[in-house]
Amino acid sequence: MNPFWKSLALVLVAAFLVGLLARPVEEPAWQWVREQEPALQLESLEDLLGQGIIVGVMGGFRSIFANLLWIRGSEYWKEQDLPGMQTMIRLVTAIDPRPSFFWMNGARITSLDMPHWRIREQGGRQNVPEVVQERIFEEQNLAGIEILHRAMVYHPNNPQYPLEIGLIKARRMDDLEGALKYYRKASEMPNAPAYAARVYAQLLRRLGRDQEAYEWLAGIYPTLDPDNIYDRAEVMLRRIRELEEDLNIPPEERIPELARDSARK
Amino acid sequence: MNSLRIIRLIAGNTFLEAVRQKLFLFLVFIAAAFIVSSFYFRDLDFGFSELKFISDFGFGAIVFFGSILSIAGAAQLFFNEIENRTALTILAKPVRRIEFILGKFTGVWAVVLAFTAMMTLLLMAILWYREGILMGMERFARDFPEGRKVLYGDILWVGFLQWLKFGILISITMIVAGFARTNLFTVVISFFILIICHLQYLARDAWAEIAFWPARMGVAVMGFAFPNFQVFNVGEYVALYEPLPWSVIGSLVGLSAIYIIVYNLLAVVSFRSREI
Amino acid sequence: MAPAIEIKELTKDFPLGLGKYKLRAVDHLSLRVEQNQVFGLLGPNGSGKSTTMKVILGLLTPTAGECRVYGLPSNKTAARKEVGFLPEAPYFYKYLSGLEMVVLMGKICGLSAARARERAWEVIEWVGLKDAARRRVGTYSKGMLQRIGIAQALVHDPQLIILDEPTAGVDPVGSAEISSLVLKLKEAGKTILLCSHLLAQVEDICDHVAIMNKGRCIRQGPLAEITEGQGDTEIRLDQLPEPEVEALRRWLGERGIDLRQVKRPQLRLDEVFLREIGKADLIYRQGSESVQLGSQVTSDKAGKDSENE
Repeated sequence: MNPFWKSLALVLVAAFLVGLLARPVEEPAWQWVREQEPALQLESLEDLLGQGIIVGVMGGFRSIFANLLWIRGSEYWKEQDLPGMQTMIRLVTAIDPRPSFFWMNGARITSLDMPHWRIREQGGRQNVPEVVQERIFEEQNLAGIEILHRAMVYHPNNPQYPLEIGLIKARRMDDLEGALKYYRKASEMPNAPAYAARVYAQLLRRLGRDQEAYEWLAGIYPTLDPDNIYDRAEVMLRRIRELEEDLNIPPEERIPELARDSARK
Repeated sequence: MNSLRIIRLIAGNTFLEAVRQKLFLFLVFIAAAFIVSSFYFRDLDFGFSELKFISDFGFGAIVFFGSILSIAGAAQLFFNEIENRTALTILAKPVRRIEFILGKFTGVWAVVLAFTAMMTLLLMAILWYREGILMGMERFARDFPEGRKVLYGDILWVGFLQWLKFGILISITMIVAGFARTNLFTVVISFFILIICHLQYLARDAWAEIAFWPARMGVAVMGFAFPNFQVFNVGEYVALYEPLPWSVIGSLVGLSAIYIIVYNLLAVVSFRSREI
Repeated sequence: MAPAIEIKELTKDFPLGLGKYKLRAVDHLSLRVEQNQVFGLLGPNGSGKSTTMKVILGLLTPTAGECRVYGLPSNKTAARKEVGFLPEAPYFYKYLSGLEMVVLMGKICGLSAARARERAWEVIEWVGLKDAARRRVGTYSKGMLQRIGIAQALVHDPQLIILDEPTAGVDPVGSAEISSLVLKLKEAGKTILLCSHLLAQVEDICDHVAIMNKGRCIRQGPLAEITEGQGDTEIRLDQLPEPEVEALRRWLGERGIDLRQVKRPQLRLDEVFLREIGKADLIYRQGSESVQLGSQVTSDKAGKDSENE
């Protein structure tokens, strides 16, 4: 046999064997990377191939491609180019769905900035009928929520997205019932900020469901750490006391204040 | 001992040749310009996520230009020796082919180390500077409740792990160069392999679902015959949010060591079959 | 004493395509280069010289037969310790200066940094490149490249020096200088193997030659034997006037010897050039220290076929 082919065959066989040998060494890192990267966690083969091809073809470079497109996107943003910006958001999040930066900014541009672009394009606030303006805001809010929904597929454990949807629904769409659902979802996530649970209770109160709000906060308060400034246990206790007043709960049945470490000592 | 000396001499000479070439300086300049250009976004976004953006962008540039440097550098420095007949001069001395290959590899890897180190330090400097500015801005103060948040030590680790990945890529290019006749062929095939290495995790996931058994075998073999480069993409989620676990660092260092050693030996095998 | 090079029945095949067809580059070659010889391995392009040389340097493995350098198989790294090599049309590392390049090669051959530097200056001076030592190799002329090539081949003081086409593409001065260096090496006790297709150029400096064609050795032996004119005798005399030539012709005729040709010897163009530029000292011909001027007489020893002239 020609030594060239002999060497080539040897190299291929050896490459396969070293792949076998290296697999157990690689396993801890690979498991960790998979947990970190939502794009690698898609279950169905179809999604895997669709997403995977993009990921694969661009190899380690999709991050830079996505970022480069985002630079272009920022030009569209400055020029208030609606179709350009929409395309760019879709493209960038498809190429690299990992950074929450693209999703959050994409959703905010869509729901906060784009309605103003559309209204300006149609003649400005003075000339566009109120009804039409409202419809535009409604449509853009839904489009922003749609982006955040897609983000949640890739980042199922990130409370940022349900919180953002809740915010849009509560503040901009006046849909408190809808917002409730997302604040609840966010507050049940393992790394949810403490305010998610408090806002959920506030929304319940605004809907007149004080008893429900009280039970919700009473269930959460004992799990907080009064020494952790991020838990803001004292703020939650204040809300609880307000509800106890409103609901006329007798003092002996009221929720006891959590003892601080310093106080315990 | 003498072998180590020869490898060091060949590596030193390769390094010297590389840094005197335009390609290296060009890539250093372009990559640095890219990393610095991430400042461009500062009107666009706000607070801590801007730092994430700068970090992503910086690592993207390191991976992209580092891969070009690894492949094009290894191929060019190898074929320069062949085409200028300097390989003939060196190998006519008491130098073994393994010493020659390891010397070339070490030289190119050292060049890529210089590149990766410069770019990682530049990225860290930019992050440090920008983080300082953001921390001083009242509206972002709550993003940094406990002072600086960026895990700079982990950024260094990620840079180091990228360099290890480049080491594997250089060894692959050396294997290809041993068989190939031209520089261009080597570069094209090596880039093709780089793409496969990023795709191979798909083969690993998909093979069990393929019904047609020859295709299943083929996909399974591909999953083993090419290293998984996706596993080195640790930079995009760590360094800013979550510390890089030691188990992951250990696993990647071990993995790189295995591949670099075995692939360099295979590069010697491919080079042996070559007529100088 | 082991010969510098000993090749026995060397055959080298190169596979073509998928390996079914082979190209035989060297075919059962045997030769022996004794120590302190200037051995010319000659032949046209494609005759197998370079392949033979690469086998001697351990760059190729023989398909059959064996090759030894100072008694060691040529594929052993140790066999190359006593070998210096000047490749054909050397380019070297253009970004290094001549001195840096020779020092690097010295270190690769195992010399310490200080010793390599010391030796590099010695050999650079020896090849006459002292003034250009610190210039980049990329700026050297072809002749200078050959000389720096010889310097790097000699830096570790090898016993056997292999020169591949050392005069190809070099001008007459450069070529003559290289010939002069080769002879100096011989005087210093070295063995030189010279591969060339420019038969006439190396003829003047080799004492032994092997002529190859299509992978086979067609003639080998001492140069004088190989180039000896068959049957003729040449006598060189100081300026012989015409009457004396006639007298000589008669005298020879009486002895049954035919004087076939009387002519003024011709100088080669490279010799004329070297004289004109005042470098006559570089002119060297096998068997004599300088060219003798005067009449050249060629006679037929047997005198039988003189009528044919």
